[in-house]
Amino acid sequence: MTGFAIETAGLSKRFRAQMAVDGIDLAVPSGSVFGFLGPNGSGKTTTIRMLLGLVAASSGSARVLGTDMPRGVGSVLPRVGALVEGPAFLPFLSGAANLRRFDAADRSAGGRSRPARVADALDRVGLSHAADKKVHAYSLGMKQRLGLANALLVPRDLLVLDEPTNGLDPQGTREVRNLIRSLAGDGTTVFVSSHLLAEVEQICTHVGVMRAGRLVTQGTLDDFRSTGAVSVRLQTPDVADARAVLARLGLTVDAPAGTPARAGGPADATRLVTARLDATPPEAVVAALVAAGVRVRGFEAAHASLEQRFVELTGEGFDVVQ
Amino acid sequence: MRDQSSRTQNSTASRTFSRWIPAIVAPIVIGVGVILVPMQATAAVDLPDKTPAELVQFAAESPAQPLSGTIEQRSELGLPDLSGLTGALGGAGGDGSSAPAAASSADLEQLLSLALGSHTARVYLDGPNARLQVLDPLAERNVYRNADGVWIYDSAEKAATHITVDQAAVEALKAELQTGHADAGAGAEMPTPEAMLDQALARLDESTAVTVGTDALVAGRAAYELVLTPRDSGTLVGQISVAIDGQTGTALAASVTARGADTPAFSIAFTDVTFAAPDPAVFAFTPPAGTAVTEKPIPVPTAAELQQAKAEAGSGDAGSVDSAAKPVLHGTGWTTVVELPAGALGAPASGPLDTVTQPVDGGRVLTTSLVTVLFTSDGRAFAGAVDVATLQAAASAPAASSGR
Amino acid sequence: MRAERRGSTAALFGSELLTLFRRRRTVALLAALALIPVLIGVAIRLAGDAGSGRGPAFLDQITNNGLFVGVTAIIVAIPLFLPLTIGVVAGDTIAGEASHGTLRYLLIAPAGRLRLLAVKYLSAGVFCLAASLTVVVVGTLVGWALFPIGPVTLLSGSTVSVGEGLLRLLGIAAYVCVSLLGLSAIGLFLSTLTTVPVGAMAATAILAVVAQIIGALPQLDWLHPWLFSEHWLGFADLLRDPVQWASFADNALLQAGYILVFGALACGRFLTKDILS
Ligand SMILES: Nc1ncnc2c1ncn2[C@@H]1O[C@H](COP(=O)(O)OP(=O)(O)OP(=O)(O)O)[C@@H](O)[C@H]1O
Ligand SMILES: [Mg+2]
Repeated sequence: MTGFAIETAGLSKRFRAQMAVDGIDLAVPSGSVFGFLGPNGSGKTTTIRMLLGLVAASSGSARVLGTDMPRGVGSVLPRVGALVEGPAFLPFLSGAANLRRFDAADRSAGGRSRPARVADALDRVGLSHAADKKVHAYSLGMKQRLGLANALLVPRDLLVLDEPTNGLDPQGTREVRNLIRSLAGDGTTVFVSSHLLAEVEQICTHVGVMRAGRLVTQGTLDDFRSTGAVSVRLQTPDVADARAVLARLGLTVDAPAGTPARAGGPADATRLVTARLDATPPEAVVAALVAAGVRVRGFEAAHASLEQRFVELTGEGFDVVQ
Repeated sequence: MRDQSSRTQNSTASRTFSRWIPAIVAPIVIGVGVILVPMQATAAVDLPDKTPAELVQFAAESPAQPLSGTIEQRSELGLPDLSGLTGALGGAGGDGSSAPAAASSADLEQLLSLALGSHTARVYLDGPNARLQVLDPLAERNVYRNADGVWIYDSAEKAATHITVDQAAVEALKAELQTGHADAGAGAEMPTPEAMLDQALARLDESTAVTVGTDALVAGRAAYELVLTPRDSGTLVGQISVAIDGQTGTALAASVTARGADTPAFSIAFTDVTFAAPDPAVFAFTPPAGTAVTEKPIPVPTAAELQQAKAEAGSGDAGSVDSAAKPVLHGTGWTTVVELPAGALGAPASGPLDTVTQPVDGGRVLTTSLVTVLFTSDGRAFAGAVDVATLQAAASAPAASSGR
Repeated sequence: MRAERRGSTAALFGSELLTLFRRRRTVALLAALALIPVLIGVAIRLAGDAGSGRGPAFLDQITNNGLFVGVTAIIVAIPLFLPLTIGVVAGDTIAGEASHGTLRYLLIAPAGRLRLLAVKYLSAGVFCLAASLTVVVVGTLVGWALFPIGPVTLLSGSTVSVGEGLLRLLGIAAYVCVSLLGLSAIGLFLSTLTTVPVGAMAATAILAVVAQIIGALPQLDWLHPWLFSEHWLGFADLLRDPVQWASFADNALLQAGYILVFGALACGRFLTKDILS
């Protein structure tokens, strides 16, 4: 499929006085794994609810798989698997019975193949053994897995996963990662919101970042990272010399003094010096350092981490905006 | 893009609105239905015009039709709780707690509430057979009239009363009267029914304006309305209206409105009626197992007894012991006051009667919107469709006391 | 395509019924209803006839004919117990799903909002039938076990065979079921207003009580024909001879009016509602 799996124009949602989502223009390319990032309360889940027709937009429009939402709910949603704000099941039914119920709600899913579909989905998330256990006896991670199984009941063109690895054990997290990779390999578009930036970094091809209801950036992961400055991390005992050389080269050196790599070490202990590399090529920096007799014990020039970029875009403050 | 977003906003709003349309339309549809259906029921109907006399004759001459239907009886007489009253009267009438007295008290209560209460009932008529089926909540009262006599059955009391008339005695009486009075009858000129009716209407006209009201639909049938308005302003009765089926001449509704009131104090009307012989099974009654059955044969007087009674009535024999308990009439027409001498009711019942009456000069009074009853301190009772003052006047009139 | 669609709506309805009746709470509600005729039967069996005129109508008939246990139980259950259970089930329809969060997953399955609402209402209707049948059937079985069974004396004083008596009992169950459909529609609407099912349940049950209180006040008699509880005791018309179907029809019409109005309100609310739970 070509074009965009999700496209919004000026999509907004107002809760009384508060703009939970404020005029976002999302563009999620078909076949991409799109990481949808943002601090708590920035409007990710609200956006997802609008995309799935659960919530009516206050203004703006959304197209999912080429169809206007929420008008196309009936025709589009069978092709969309979703996990919205955590899994939810009737606690007094077994996992399998819950899946059968959701599957029966889907008009396009035939009844004859229902047991096979449910068994398949449970198998995919490793819940076959707990299929007949009542959901109230499920652990947090088991519920999360069951939620994923529900999203995978039928082959989907688009998966919308709101924090899919929440509460999963390391194996589960890795499974989900592999699952998303394999689904994406089959051409399924995955729209995943997550706070685990390491996860996102590993699986996503694209990212979008929300802040206080606005989409502050979106694009490919590589673009996202390369827009940030490259920095050098130098490990040396000669901190003062190194700082002088770097300053002479026109680099912005971080922090007033080099951070000791190991606190309380001997005088020639290795310390870390970081600086922002602007236009200067890294090899020139190394050459200058060596020429000045600085003992270079480690040198790395790299783009800022996703976390740094994220914090740059969404602010340092810990308090939830709004 | 601004364009698109505002357009989608509009369409969202209109979709939101469109989803509330059924919720707006449903009550309107129901409201219109509720208004239209009765309007249809009261839609103008036009029957061939009749004069009051023609209408009365039409009703009188139409043969009784087999029918089944539902009647609604609504009574807003302003009567207090009847059970206390009838209990008091019935108890006072008998000599204490003997079984017949209790039974007659229950019967009186039953008949009063049948006649004056508010209820819905089914009526079945077919020649000599008739049935009144009063549909009480979770209970039922029935009056059956069939070849077997009259049965009154009350499901709540699980009691049945069987009223029988000795058919043979009635036949004998008829035969005897015919032979015995053949000569007397031959002497008098038999008036034609028309003449009798005219005479009756003429007499009625003195006290009452008889008019034909507007035709209306009653129980879905076009009906004439006969309106009787008392000319005498001394009566509490403002108007009596009777609806007469334009096709069969059967009375379909009747209502009595108090003077000055807008709504009838008492009304009885068919809400649906079918003029076809009902299934004969509806008239059959056998008391179910476990029912207390009271047999009440009605004595048929012989011709001689009848003759004697007639003679007594004619002579107005004040000395007769029986006549002490006989009612006396004061006045004529609508303001007629009935006096029950002290013997008829026994001592003025205290207790229950007090709760439903108010003290006035000379006794206690029971007022309803149509009828007033005065119980004088000396044990007499006066009743009439008049105000208290008229009753008090009758009570203090010398004629009344001379009657005793 | 059409056939397939209709088939799947039946599947959703079936799954809804399965969910409803497999739920322990539903079973407990029905068991509580079944307890009413059991208690009546056992009490009368142990204590003997209460004597005519005391207790609910038909109570004094039970010792003669066990078939009246069911009728008596219906009379006892109709003012409070039946509306209470209907309130629980109807009030839970949408609000219960919302509180569990399963509403959003049903809607993105997608169940379709109108379709889901219809299926929810239908299953509440089935519960109404199950509830009234439970009272009548358990009552009949209890009566059969504890008392003699024989031809049934109707209110009119005539007597019908046991077979016809049973048929009329089924008719009463149908009448009571119809009587409760209006209340179910109110419960459904209230259920779309909240995500707290207990609120909708309580509101529905309270409305049922309020309607009956208003129905008992003669000062408000202009309002009486409009009360959904107006004909609740009219099932006695099935125990008359001949059967008075008029009240069955009046009741059905009244309930249909309630279904129409509150169904439309529920649609308006549910189709425009933001699902935020
Ligand atoms: N039902 C609601 N009523 C009012 N405001 C709401 C409601 N739901 C969400 N909001 C507000 O909308 C904003 C966005 O919430 P949303 O759930 O979309 O955030 P999120 O990005 O998913 O956060 P998180 O990372 O914690 O899941 C928040 O400020 C929240 O307070
Ligand atoms: Mg969220």
